[in-house]
Amino acid sequence: MKFEKKRASTKQEIPTASMPDIIFMLLLFFMVTTTLREVEVFVNYSLPEAKAIEKIENRRLISYIWVGQDGRIQINDSLVKMEEIQSIMYTKRQALPNVIVSLRIDKNTDMGYVTDIQQELRKAFCLRINYSANVKI
Amino acid sequence: MIKKKKLPEATIPTSSMADIAFLLLIFFLVATVIDVDSGIGMTLPEFIEDVETVEVPKDRMAALLINETGDVLLDGQPISLFQITATLKPRIQSKIDLPKNKKLIVSLKTDRRTVYNAYIQALDQVKEAFFEVRDEYANSKFGQKFNDLDETAQNEVKEAVPIIISIAEPEKIK
Repeated sequence: MKFEKKRASTKQEIPTASMPDIIFMLLLFFMVTTTLREVEVFVNYSLPEAKAIEKIENRRLISYIWVGQDGRIQINDSLVKMEEIQSIMYTKRQALPNVIVSLRIDKNTDMGYVTDIQQELRKAFCLRINYSANVKI
Repeated sequence: MIKKKKLPEATIPTSSMADIAFLLLIFFLVATVIDVDSGIGMTLPEFIEDVETVEVPKDRMAALLINETGDVLLDGQPISLFQITATLKPRIQSKIDLPKNKKLIVSLKTDRRTVYNAYIQALDQVKEAFFEVRDEYANSKFGQKFNDLDETAQNEVKEAVPIIISIAEPEKIK
């Protein structure tokens, strides 16, 4: 008697034809979620940590002010002086009336310095601010 | 008779498409920054030249002072930074049923030499106290946490527990 080995008649390959489609889907997801960094940060800073943190829903409204360890202030692409903050922020506010100013201040800065910046912001009528902080675990 | 030459089937090779897509995918994976902007939100008061002083009854105010070494004073009593939430919570809760102009005001004042970090820690504690009271109030009234409520209910809770934090006007250097 002759025995024949049983073999499945189906192909023993993984179909790869739809792989590009899957990859493209992933690709599209990342392309949509990516926000490329528009500004280069010149100052060196480390943010304080906090628990009671809120997220800013609307990214478009945010305007940043960085303050580094050495006390240098950066707005947009350039380092600015304390006296210039008011005029810069005022033009920003005119372009975007409900601008939120995110303050990315180094945690070892003196409060007097922070208060000065806040006074400038008040003069420029940028009243909505956000103290940027990392989540404390 | 001329025999027609059989043309090979015209196809575009697609086997490398996955590789190209992978390359693009890796680029975007690396370039993506998913950093959510988070922090402590505040609203500054408007800038007015001549500041009017309004007397506020003592029991309505919680005055927090932070000096340059990071010591905290709450209504004249020295207190540790981590006790702020626990101390403020009952005071906020006791004013839930009072009308709008009788709610607790937390005033935060720092020295010019205070470290920014100490200020943020104190502000964080104050916010935490308000958020916890809001959550508890929402839980007792609607059986849900504040963040899970719909907008009208959220506004009702906000009405009952408004977050009033005053950043004290900096003192002029004499």
